[in-house]
Amino acid sequence: MRSRVTLALAASGGLAFAGAAAAQDLLFLASDVPAGLNYDGPAAAIPTSQTGMVNVMEPLIDYAAAGTNDEGITTPEFGQFEGRLAESWSFDEASLTWTFNLRQGVTGCGGAEFTADDVLYTFERAKSVSGAAPIGWFLSNVGSIAGFTPDVFGEGADKSLGAEVAKIDDYTVTITQSEPNALFLPVLTIFGLYMFDKEGMEAQATEADPWSHDFTNNVGMASFGPYCVERWTKDDEIVLTANENYYRGAPAIKTVVMKRVPQSSNRVVILRTGQAQLVQGLTPREYDSLRDAAGIAVGGVAGNENLFVHMNFDTPPFDNPLVRQAIAHAIPTEQIIQNAYFGQATVWNGHVPSSYPGYHQPERQYPYDPEGAAALLAEAGYPGGAGLDAYADALQLSYVAEKETTLGPIVNAIATALRGLGMPVDLNPIPQTQYGDRQLVKRDLPFAVNDQEKPIGVDAGYASQLFFVSPESGGLNNMVNYRNPAFDGLWAEARVEADASVRDNLLAEMQDMLMEDVVWAPVVEYKTQWAFADGLKGLRWYPDNSVRFFDLSFE
Amino acid sequence: MITRYILRRFAIGTVQLLLLVVAVFFLIRLLPADPVSRFVGLNSSAEAYAQAERNLGLDRPIMVQLGHYLGLLPSEGPGLLQGSLGTSWVTGSPVATEIAGALPVTIELLTFSFMVALLVSVPVGMLAALRPGGAADKGVFVYSLFAGSQPEFWWGLLFVYVFFFTLGWAPAPLGVMSPLTSAPETVTGFVTVDSILAGRWDVLGEVLHHYMLPVATMVFILSGPIIKMVRQNMVRALASDFVLYARCAGLPKGRVAMYALRAAMAPSVTLIGILYGFMLGGAVLIESVFSLGGLGQYAIRSVLAFDYPAIQGVILIITAISLLVYLALDLIHAAIDPRVAY
Amino acid sequence: MADASLDDRAGAASTPRRRVDWLFWIGVGIVSTVTFLAAFGPVIAPYDPTLAMHPPSVPPPSPADWPGLWWGRLTGEIEAAPNWFGTDANGFDLFSRVISAPRVDLTIALAANALSLGLGIFLGLIAGYYRNVLTEGLMRVSDVLQSFPVFISAMILVALAGRSTLNIVIALALLYTPIYIRLTRSEVLTQRVRGYVEAARALGNPEIVIALRHVLPNSLAPALIQSSVTIGFAILLTAGLSFVGAGVRPPAPEWGLMISTGANQIILGEWWPSVFPGIAISLTVFGFAILGNALERRYEG
Repeated sequence: MRSRVTLALAASGGLAFAGAAAAQDLLFLASDVPAGLNYDGPAAAIPTSQTGMVNVMEPLIDYAAAGTNDEGITTPEFGQFEGRLAESWSFDEASLTWTFNLRQGVTGCGGAEFTADDVLYTFERAKSVSGAAPIGWFLSNVGSIAGFTPDVFGEGADKSLGAEVAKIDDYTVTITQSEPNALFLPVLTIFGLYMFDKEGMEAQATEADPWSHDFTNNVGMASFGPYCVERWTKDDEIVLTANENYYRGAPAIKTVVMKRVPQSSNRVVILRTGQAQLVQGLTPREYDSLRDAAGIAVGGVAGNENLFVHMNFDTPPFDNPLVRQAIAHAIPTEQIIQNAYFGQATVWNGHVPSSYPGYHQPERQYPYDPEGAAALLAEAGYPGGAGLDAYADALQLSYVAEKETTLGPIVNAIATALRGLGMPVDLNPIPQTQYGDRQLVKRDLPFAVNDQEKPIGVDAGYASQLFFVSPESGGLNNMVNYRNPAFDGLWAEARVEADASVRDNLLAEMQDMLMEDVVWAPVVEYKTQWAFADGLKGLRWYPDNSVRFFDLSFE
Repeated sequence: MITRYILRRFAIGTVQLLLLVVAVFFLIRLLPADPVSRFVGLNSSAEAYAQAERNLGLDRPIMVQLGHYLGLLPSEGPGLLQGSLGTSWVTGSPVATEIAGALPVTIELLTFSFMVALLVSVPVGMLAALRPGGAADKGVFVYSLFAGSQPEFWWGLLFVYVFFFTLGWAPAPLGVMSPLTSAPETVTGFVTVDSILAGRWDVLGEVLHHYMLPVATMVFILSGPIIKMVRQNMVRALASDFVLYARCAGLPKGRVAMYALRAAMAPSVTLIGILYGFMLGGAVLIESVFSLGGLGQYAIRSVLAFDYPAIQGVILIITAISLLVYLALDLIHAAIDPRVAY
Repeated sequence: MADASLDDRAGAASTPRRRVDWLFWIGVGIVSTVTFLAAFGPVIAPYDPTLAMHPPSVPPPSPADWPGLWWGRLTGEIEAAPNWFGTDANGFDLFSRVISAPRVDLTIALAANALSLGLGIFLGLIAGYYRNVLTEGLMRVSDVLQSFPVFISAMILVALAGRSTLNIVIALALLYTPIYIRLTRSEVLTQRVRGYVEAARALGNPEIVIALRHVLPNSLAPALIQSSVTIGFAILLTAGLSFVGAGVRPPAPEWGLMISTGANQIILGEWWPSVFPGIAISLTVFGFAILGNALERRYEG
């Protein structure tokens, strides 16, 4: 095996290698290159686009580092924030106003200096809701920034920035909330509120496009991040060069080429030939195969990625709690961890990533127990699956077709187990887009396996509001149509609770409720992994799962 | 005379294209897919959905959308009449630009493949035709039947396994050049041509090396029908009266063979043209196996992402090129075959 | 994947009569095996092809062990059937899947072909027999349809309408119908000026009777011969659609889908999940091509 790869290197690499890959260059392979760098643009939901954004833009604040795990990956300390473009900040509880002291002497790629005007521009642009997907507005809304209400969408509504974000002087801004909300600082760390360079952005504005959406969707970015866009060919590659004036110091890696290699197996091959130094988005099987490869390291972190079975409360037979419990008990979790994740996953005991502040492990659990599952199914009125044929449409287990290689073994293991109980389960792979539509907008997916819900706001409360609060009470992504007034009530209390320990108790009570009701059937938490040349050091995990090239260096 | 013929063909072709565009336009909108959803992303509110729908222009009546696409409503922005294929919903870039980036790869792949396939198939087909029914002819016959009916994506994978994974003779199946090579300056968009123009011989060598396996796969598949066709036409030509006469007249064998070849090539040219047009869309699977980034891969991406403007653009361009190729071949046919008149 | 309509039928006439009957019988052998498997494959398969019951990614037993395994199976010493072709990443028995696949592949190909054949012959007869503005229009529409890039169009239809067997059948039928219209129409055009048509007309038969009773049966051959080739290509197209993710749904046992699942493992050196189904498609389509060619030669010669 090894000798073959060496041969391949001699044959194919020999030619290509000449003159390439100086020690300060990095070739990063991903399933795609950024389809846009505009977080309010059409491509913002795509992980690879986010990777582009976070490397060329800069947040006001971020989480501090906690330490390095035994696989060499640095992890964040949730709950402890450190200043980035903001040097320090203070909060006045009476007026719900945050005051940010901005860092001085920060220079962006275009040479402009960072000031309060850039902060104002960023929030003004977010509130204009002029882009395809107004994520800046959404995050501001989640953090209860005053004035960022759904009213801005109305025809002829005032979309201009009021006094909620105000400039005191060139290096001081205040942001006012409409109510106390613990999510304010967490949302400021998210890519959807990273800062723009006003001067650079306005230089690209046109009459038809005053907020430079076209520029950021297609051409480049004006911000203060560690890297600048050198060349960007969609569907092919993006070349980033170091911002030598970056305020945290010039990046160690001077040129980063992010190259699109759609098939994960191809990314494996190039990494093995030594041409690439970092790859992401492999299947667990492929990471596993690279663990013993010479010159290659695989690192991972138990971050916020997980897999659960989704059962829609509005669709019989899933409206029956006994059926949901039977299914939860029938899932062969250990088999999935071994056969699909090759040991790089652990049983998930809750509905919130276990690494998040506010996570609580409920007493009630649903371990693998086929006999118990069969008994529950009989109790539900479907002994041996009899009578479930009427729900054949609802029993189609949906999943994202593009993830076939990773999810295939899992959905097949689950379907096989459920068919063993007599349930007529079929598989229904659907395209990512369609899956998203039916999950988010139509909310009509009856039965699905989902491995892509990582709440980007690092907080159990954020996850609850996102996934479990009823749509009527502002639940945003309540894909299973869970409606529990008691749950909604608890969240209404916790949302504006200023005392952290009281809030945590409320959140724990909510998480017990979710498990009791089997809102989801949680299966596993799996590691976020990367494979890289073993000389590459400094990888750090962020909740958006995007690598920051600034952290990296070669030994 | 010939100008009039060409003009008429252009007119018919334009009408045909227009019909096709309208047909595709309605067809994809009739199918039960909802393209708006992907833009809603993190925010699933009804307002955001409506906003995304407005941004895509899908909230307008369908005839207005069609009018806009065709360019009949210049106030709404450019359309087909103004030479615009619209904007991709996935990337936000003009579809025409994206296709211009992908098309050269497909054309290079096809052109190299056809050149090699012809170089191999014509002599083989002729050889088989010299002694119909002989052992060589039988072997060639079985081969052409076999090669013409194969799953090309599977052979591509096998070639990757054997020539890249096991033997290491071929580069990794990832496009037309190594990701770290700096591409020559874009002049024509065809990497081979551009690297020659820029004098970048190293890049040219590398690109040809990367084309090796995809071209080999394609040649294998193409050689089946081409050999069969050359053989049949050649057999017929050799049995025809004028060759018989030439033989009787005692002309040298080589000379007779040349006459026969010329007669055999005329019908072949048309069929090769049809095959070329067919393969513009048929190279999808090979491009996918080798990640070439050509028109076929662009089509897959667009279809799976419900990117309507891109889908319309791909079909329009492929069909337009096919029609142009057919026209060019008919003209060549006329030049080779004196019997054809307009 | 070459165009099925490319056969230069005029040239085939000059194909000399050769003793290649062994080839014909190979074709018959392959096609009847595939047909047999379509009927009984899932029944004789040792395991349910859609249940993940085995350890994943187990290589097939080495050929040297086969006789021993066979003997053990026959004598009952080995209780469970071995995984003759190994298992895939999902833990499916590949042998069971490969022999169950014809039911999916052949059914789609036959159904699509029957649909397009019926429709194509009907429309071709009308277009050839009654020549007026309407039928001219029909031919132009079929021209437009035929100028669609086949694979991409099929992909669009299936991806946007939803991945179901029925949608695949409809998409393929739509794309193949113009071929049959064209073939039937041109045959009808040569038949309708024949003497027997004149004779039938002279005897006072109504036009519709002449068209259906006399012209139709004499114009069927080209379309029927073409259909053997088309079935083969329909199998290829079905597999290709699965390969790019626009075909039948997993875990249906379908060769293209199996190759697609196995494609990612080739790079890890696991050849068996894609090689066995590949050989199956390769031979099957070859079998149909042989048969089509043989029929063509008999008809012409």
